[in-house]
Parts: sequence; structure tokens; C-alpha cells
Amino acid sequence: MMARKKLLLVDDDLDILEQLSLALGGEGYEVVTAQGRKEGEEILMLGRPDLAIIDLMMEEMDSGFVLCHEMKKLYPDMPVIILTAVTAATGLDFHARSDEARSWVKADALLDKPVRFEQLKEEVLRLLEPRESEATAAGV
Amino acid sequence: MTTIRVNNQTVEPKPGETILSVCRRLGIQIPTLCHIEGLPPSGACRMCLVEVEGMPGLVPSCSYPAADGMIVQTHSPLVVKARRTILELLLGSHPDDCLYCVRNNHCELQALAAEMGVRQRRYVGRRERHELDVSGPSIVRDPGKCILCGKCVRVCEEIQTVASIDFISRGAATFVGTAFNKGLNVSSCVNCGQCVRVCPTGALTERSCVQEVLTALDDPRKTVVVQHAPAVSVTIAEAFGLKPGADVDGQMVAALRRVGFDHVFDTSFSADLTIMEEASELAHRIQTGGILPMMTSCSPAWIKFVEQFFPEFIPNVSTCKSPQQMMGALIKQFWAPRQGLDPRQVVSVSIMPCTAKKFEAARPEMAKEHVYDVDYVLTTRELAQLLGIRGLNLSVLEPEDADTPFGERSSAGKIFGASGGVMEAAVRTAHYALTGKELSDLKIQPLRGLQGVKELRAKIGDLEIGAAVVSGLGQARKLLEEVRGGRRDLHFIEVMSCPGGCINGGGQPLGTDMQAVAARMKALYRIDAEGTLRTSHSNPWVKRLYEEFLGAPLSERSHHLLHTHYHHREVVL
Repeated sequence: MMARKKLLLVDDDLDILEQLSLALGGEGYEVVTAQGRKEGEEILMLGRPDLAIIDLMMEEMDSGFVLCHEMKKLYPDMPVIILTAVTAATGLDFHARSDEARSWVKADALLDKPVRFEQLKEEVLRLLEPRESEATAAGV
Repeated sequence: MTTIRVNNQTVEPKPGETILSVCRRLGIQIPTLCHIEGLPPSGACRMCLVEVEGMPGLVPSCSYPAADGMIVQTHSPLVVKARRTILELLLGSHPDDCLYCVRNNHCELQALAAEMGVRQRRYVGRRERHELDVSGPSIVRDPGKCILCGKCVRVCEEIQTVASIDFISRGAATFVGTAFNKGLNVSSCVNCGQCVRVCPTGALTERSCVQEVLTALDDPRKTVVVQHAPAVSVTIAEAFGLKPGADVDGQMVAALRRVGFDHVFDTSFSADLTIMEEASELAHRIQTGGILPMMTSCSPAWIKFVEQFFPEFIPNVSTCKSPQQMMGALIKQFWAPRQGLDPRQVVSVSIMPCTAKKFEAARPEMAKEHVYDVDYVLTTRELAQLLGIRGLNLSVLEPEDADTPFGERSSAGKIFGASGGVMEAAVRTAHYALTGKELSDLKIQPLRGLQGVKELRAKIGDLEIGAAVVSGLGQARKLLEEVRGGRRDLHFIEVMSCPGGCINGGGQPLGTDMQAVAARMKALYRIDAEGTLRTSHSNPWVKRLYEEFLGAPLSERSHHLLHTHYHHREVVL
């Protein structure tokens, strides 16, 4: 049996941490949560998760961006998804749909809150491929 | 005889007719911001006020019945001043960013302000701060630009019976929002876009993909392929000042090439393919005692409607993917490898009359190993914008043909754009499949027209078939409740989410009335009447696809590429 993939979830909203931990846990992932950039950084020092899902506006407006940069410095190959309500709150529209945008956002995907779980699950699967997708396909 | 006098003209109102309706018949333009043709009046915006002799104050003409002996003034100084003041009060709490607004030049509020000569801000109202809702895959909401006319709320609830948005709070704090104000993405919104179609301002718009498509077009590593839906060629011309119903299919193909698309395919081809699969699926269900009535699956808002409100009917929905998704799957999984292209380097764009197609394209079911069959969906309105960005004027281009192998269509595939068109195309092919002969008259009149419900009982060979066609989700809900209540005479049901079908889709050019929709419908049937290839099964390229690759309808390859399954969906209600 393959080892469970480890996901790091960083958000200052406890409800989101709890809901997503349960949902992603239900999909067979091992989920580690952090309630902000600082806690996220501490967890990162303990080892590389397979993927991280992080909020943007936490202790500071741009905590998520800072955390993304640090993550990519430490583990350049680790996929990162930003899950944010920044556009709703500020009107500023960020995305990670082009190479240019990804190069400075330092995230591999950016999803607007509220997200449907099927969207998040699909992004996680996509970014963890190829191994994960083959395993999923084989399991169907 | 009942008569009224309007601006010194005597006129005979019809029984129950409102003053507004009488005036419109006379050619008198009375502005409205909340009136919806075909629905009872709401009297919310007060722009349609008129002066009626003997009445205290002004009366809203949209909700006031014409009564014998009335003397009405529609543009007296008092009326004009009142309307202008109401408009200025609406503008008092409206943002000033018209230049940057997606509805600039298409905004009813802006047009009225210009018409009434508003040139300064006399009132500065308090602006409630509302968050943008960009969470949805198809529709973006900006409550800051909302004037509370309530049209979106009424279309969503009264016509579509979805009711995913409503007024929240009271008085000056009122705004339109989703359940618990949680955002469209997790709401019961089916993404049909009928709210966008009726919104007078920039409060509701489609989620634009124009920039993404431009980026792909400018990337030399990408092969960008486009497909265009049957209903687009008879509507896009309106954005260039031509009359509703003008068909610019060839000019549009030429324009798409000049925009930079490497290959241009016609979704009507995959509509023909849908008919081959769907007619076979229906025959299979009837012959093997499968679940009936079978329901069409072309309209993605309808699919989400069933998934969230009527999950018990999911097995009734055809497993066929929609024509957009069939074409997308063919492009990425069949065509690209044969061209020696990596599907990851192919960008598949579709031009659709529909906002819900954006949601459909992003469904996880519509990808193979996370490579999506359709990458970006542009509405007809976004196409007009794209052509503008590239400096193209449709009306001066010479017509061109779409590309092989997915460019040739039958006119049966083309009439998919109108309510009843899928059924008509299916009956033509089912008749041939079951009897070996073509229908003596290919025109099936009972399936045509803008009525919300159309029914047909037909004998095909030895088989007696009951068919129903509904458009507008409210009509679909009624029919589903009849079936749930025990109605057993139907074998096949066609559902299109928008009233009248895709020709009235949520992505179509704005500012149109039902006369324009009727003209669009007429155009599709004219194309069919003039067509030489009028049945899906006679499309030579569809035949070739089956001979050389798919085998037969419902084959293993067909199932793999062209069919899918839907699931019960939980939403915030």
C-alpha cells in the first residue's frame, strides 16, 4: 500500500481548518493544520509535506504570499494552492492561471473562497499527479 | 367601448392591459428598469411613472391597469422631473467607475442618465460596502452596482424556480445575495445566466475568460482550437449592429481565424454526434426496459438543477455528454494525438450562448488525467469583445468554411440552438433508425415555437412515442413533478434551461426582447429549410468517425469519450 500523502493546511479561520481537514481526511490524506503563517513556518521546518493549501490574508494582508515564497525556497517542487477571499474583500484580482502569474505568486493554483470541495479535490489530485492520478485511475 | 387618452391620442386598451403596455403599442417610450416582459409587474423602480388626470400624485404605468376615460400624460414636465430625480437618487449611491465597468456602453442606468441629460451628481448617498462575489465559475456579482430593481431575483425564482438569490436585510441596508451570503459557488445557482441577461447594470456579469484566451493565442507553444455553438452565428451579429436573426456563420469562422485560432470547428457537428448517441440510447432503453422517460443532457444548468433538486431523476438523464463536451473530448483525445500533438499543448476554446457552459467545462468529470476537454468557454458577448480587441468587423469579412474533420454539420445539428431542436433532430434520426426510411416531412411543427411546453405523440414504425419539450427551468420543474406524480405517457423529454432555448441563453447579446428571440429562432429554422443535409445520420463526417474510430453508437469507445455520469449534489440552501 502506498503511504498516505501529507497535506499542510494553513488558515486563520478555525472553521475552514476543521471542515477541510475532515473532508480531505475522508479522501485518505493525512492533514496537518496551522492557524497562521508563523505556525505554518514551524511545521514546514519539521519536514516537507506533499502539498500545501494556504490562506492569503492571515496575520497580515499578505501573509500567504510571504509563506508561499518561503515554501518555494525551502521545497521548490512542493505544490502550493492559495485558497482566498481576497478579491471579495479588496476587489484586487489575483490568479495563477499563467506562467507569468505563477512566477511571482509562487503558487501553483489560486482558488476563490468559498470553494466547492470537488474543485479543491480536483486541484489537489492534479497537482499531486502523475503518481496520484494513476493510482486513482487504477482504483476506479 | 373602453377608451383612454394618452398624450392626446385616443386608444382602446385590451382587457386588463396596463398603461405601460398601451403606451408601448402606441410607440411611446416609457423608461423602465424593473419591468420583465411576461411576468406580473413589481413596480420597484418607479421610472415608468405617468400623470393621470384626477389621480393624486403620479402612478406607475407598469402596474396600473388602463381604465375607461383615463387621461394620461407620459412626458409632462412633472413626470420628466420626477423620473429624473428618481434616477439621480439611484445614481447617488452608485459607483462612478463607468469607464472601468464591464457594462460600459451596455448599461441601462447609464443609457437613461444620458437620455435624461444627467450631467452632475446632485445627491451623494451612503454607499453600503458589499463584497464582490467572484467565487462562481460562471457569474460574478458586484452588489455595489446593484440598484435593487429585483429583476434577477424574480427571474431566478419565478421563471427558473431556482431562487438562489434574494433580498437580504431591510430598508437602506437591503442588498441582493445568496443564502447566508455564502457566495454563488456553493449556492443553488445553476449558472444559467438569466439574471445577467436581465440585470440593467454591471451588478451581474459573466466570469470572463477573454484574457486567458488572448494569452493562449499569443503563446507560440500552444495550438489553440475553437468550436462555436449552433446558436452563436445567429446572434453575434447583433453586437455589430445587424438585425436579430442575421446569420453570419461564414463571417464568424473567418473572424475566428483572424483572431488567431489555429483550427475552427462547429459544435453543430458534435450535436449531430449527440443525436446518434442519444437516439441509440433511447432505443436501447425502450427495447431493454430501461429507465424512462429519458431526459436530454445538453443543458448544463438543467443538469445541476436535477443534481441538487431532483436527484431521483439522475438515472433518467441521458449519459451523453453535451455537444460542447463531446467536441472537447474529440479534440483532446482523438484529434490531437492524430495530429501528433500533445493534448497538454492544445488549448480548447468554445464559444457558447451560455454561462453555465463555463461550469460544465470545469466539472472534474470532463477531464482525462486532469487535462480538460474544454479549457475556456467564451460567451457570445465575450466573443464580440474579443473581435473588438483584434479590430475585426464581422460585416465586412468574406465567409469561410469551418475546418475538417469537425466542421461539417447537418441542419439538424444547427437547430439544437432552439427549444425543440434537439427533439426534432432526434425524431428525424430515430425514424430512420427504426424504419430504414426518412420522415416524409422533416419539419415537425408541434416541436417548434417559443411556448414553454410542447408535446408530440408520434408513431415511429411499430413504436408509439410520447415526447415533451420544455424550456425554462420552471417549466421543467412542473413536468418533473407530473412525472413524479405518476405521469407515464412520456418516453423522451428535452429540457433547455433558458426560455426559448440557447438562442435566449445567458451569454447572448444584451438588451433583447422576445421579438428578437423569435427572430433568432426563425433564422435557425430558415437555415434548416434551406439546408441540403438535414439529418444527423446523413452527416458524412459523422459516418466516417463511426466507421474509422468509434465503431457504432454506444460502443466502448463512445462510452469512454462521449458519455458521463452525474451525481447528487449538496448546495447551501
